[in-house]
Amino acid sequence: MPEGSSVTTGEILDNRMVARDHFLMRVFLPLSFARPLPGQFVMVRDCRLSGPLLARPLSVFGFQRRPDHSVMELLYRVAGRGTSLFSRMKPGEGLCVLGPLGRGFSIHADVKRIVVVAGGVGIAPLSFLVDEGYRQSPSLEKRELRVYLGAGTEELLTCRERLSGVCDLRICTDDGSLGYRGPVTGLLGEELHEFAAEDTAIYACGPTAMIRELGRLLRNSPLRCEVSLEERMACGVGACLGCAVAVQNAAGRREYRRVCHDGPVFDLREMIFNGS
Amino acid sequence: MIMKKETPGQNPPDLTVAIGGLVLKNPVMTASGTFGYGEEYVPYCDLNRLGAVVVKGLSLEPRLGNPPPRIIETPSGMLNAVGLQNVGVRAFLSEKLPFLRRYDVAVIANIFGETVDQYRRVAHILSGAAGIHALELNISCPNVKKGGVAFGARPEAAAEVTANVRAETDLPLIVKLTPNVADIAEIALAVEEAGADGVSLINTLTGMSVDIEKRIPHLANVTGGLSGPAIKPVALRMVWQVVHAVKIPVIGIGGIMTAADALEFLIAGARAIQVGTANFVRPSATMEIIDGISDYLTRHGLGSIDKLIGSLNTNPSNGD
Ligand SMILES: Cc1cc2nc3c(=O)[nH]c(=O)nc-3n(C[C@H](O)[C@H](O)[C@H](O)COP(=O)(O)OP(=O)(O)OC[C@H]3O[C@@H](n4cnc5c(N)ncnc54)[C@H](O)[C@@H]3O)c2cc1C
Ligand SMILES: Cc1cc2nc3c(=O)[nH]c(=O)nc-3n(C[C@H](O)[C@H](O)[C@H](O)COP(=O)(O)O)c2cc1C
Ligand code: FES
Repeated sequence: MPEGSSVTTGEILDNRMVARDHFLMRVFLPLSFARPLPGQFVMVRDCRLSGPLLARPLSVFGFQRRPDHSVMELLYRVAGRGTSLFSRMKPGEGLCVLGPLGRGFSIHADVKRIVVVAGGVGIAPLSFLVDEGYRQSPSLEKRELRVYLGAGTEELLTCRERLSGVCDLRICTDDGSLGYRGPVTGLLGEELHEFAAEDTAIYACGPTAMIRELGRLLRNSPLRCEVSLEERMACGVGACLGCAVAVQNAAGRREYRRVCHDGPVFDLREMIFNGS
Repeated sequence: MIMKKETPGQNPPDLTVAIGGLVLKNPVMTASGTFGYGEEYVPYCDLNRLGAVVVKGLSLEPRLGNPPPRIIETPSGMLNAVGLQNVGVRAFLSEKLPFLRRYDVAVIANIFGETVDQYRRVAHILSGAAGIHALELNISCPNVKKGGVAFGARPEAAAEVTANVRAETDLPLIVKLTPNVADIAEIALAVEEAGADGVSLINTLTGMSVDIEKRIPHLANVTGGLSGPAIKPVALRMVWQVVHAVKIPVIGIGGIMTAADALEFLIAGARAIQVGTANFVRPSATMEIIDGISDYLTRHGLGSIDKLIGSLNTNPSNGD
């Protein structure tokens, strides 16, 4: 349980569609809500309890401290009942926020090259990482920030404006409607030889198939890569053991970790990929 | 956090309850498997205010648990098939219990085995440890292949494991019952005769959910245990039946989300209650429930919770 986590009632400032099925929600929070680290997430639900029983995990996409309050941004894709309900919430309505939760990305002060691999709405925690972790750091001039951003088709792409000015953005679409035609891991695979293990850090978030492909690509590579994982959650705080993910421990044995508490960010090398 | 409301000039009602030799400052406990080892909820709850913390089920050796996905939300509830993943009883004592002992709260160890001998050995290890206030015997988990539910489904088997653990420990002994049986009162009677100091019920109801797009079960384990508001009426009915079948205290569990839910169980005769899935929805649910029970007693002019427990009038026309 990270330092400073709390249950807070936030107020929706606005909630608008930014691409097909994708919404950006801005939430007003009191200063008592702790500043999230890149890669951390929150468990959110409609305060009226009229929706699903359990809160839904969403990554922090943006966070700004103001003198007397904070504004948190959430970027979400409508995937089912819970997120569909979020998409219909109106400014002024109360959002119950539990967090910030989990272990975020490691920030490396020394690396020269930051490589971000995002599939779909997986860009949410990664955009916050670019913003908070790297863009504002003073030594940026000497650094390359490259973002591979993938989606099924152009209409589903988000964050282009936010990212295009601050990084070397490489867009991939499955149907080729914009940028590289094919999955992000396809383009990354072609360009992997450009990176050297000593000065590169890779960060990724996206659908399971993408993470698995990344695991395959980097299996015999010395490149370091952190991934943010998704699993269904109930408590979000490490108590229910519902969000298990299989990893290989230091002794080489299979064990389960909690995505919410031990992650959501894991070292790609620890992950065990099987057929499922 | 919600602070206790003080009515000026009025003593707060007495919430103390006893289960066998175990005296609790109030009847609100956390249900096994829904509150970790307590630590996870420290930012949201004052553990000192809880009646008891029932820790995640402990076995003799560490258990890996089931493969994911392990949970899925269902209408007004959720299914879980965690499979009793736990650190094992020895690691619990050395790594988890010291933290809980810093708090002024009763610690109840929920235990589970695949054989009677395993139950006995876990009970033995815990009985020798300082800081454990009672044992809760899980003879009802539906998510493991061996043991678990097998003991809870037949009165003879339930009595056998209870008697064996009874012989091993002087700690207050609570037996947790499964609802997945034809006659729960019969099992309750059997464990009472075998020496249980109390029974707790219900554990989860076995259920299932299918992903129609992929045509696969939502849980890797195929079936799982249903918990949450969906099971409350069933739990309440079973508690009511068991209260009338046994003399030992009954602890009510199942879908308790609010103080009003808890009061239903207490009025039906439960001596205490456990809060499970509600912890996931509102991490400070137990605090709100304790405050709500206290406020209710004050509002109804009841000085102690004893006056409320079992006060259900099933024949209102003959009442006052
Ligand atoms: C740490 C973490 C951070 C996340 N951050 C974001 C984010 O920033 N933006 C965003 O759009 N989504 C994010 N997700 C995924 C998001 O939580 C799910 O899409 C959401 O819970 C689905 O809820 P629902 O009720 O709309 O869908 P449901 O009806 O519950 O399910 C619809 C589909 O989504 C899948 N699903 C359900 N829960 C999850 C889950 N927890 N993770 C992945 N898939 C799930 C189901 O298997 C099903 O295929 C994150 C998940 C985790 C674990
Ligand atoms: C995720 C989860 C894990 C559980 N683990 C255990 C366990 O280890 N031992 C046990 O006796 N009961 C376990 N239970 C059952 C609960 O203690 C409780 O009996 C049940 O959830 C019903 O109460 P509720 O509706 O308030 O959740 C678990 C329940 C859930 C939801
Ligand atoms: S969601 Fe409960 S342990 Fe991770």
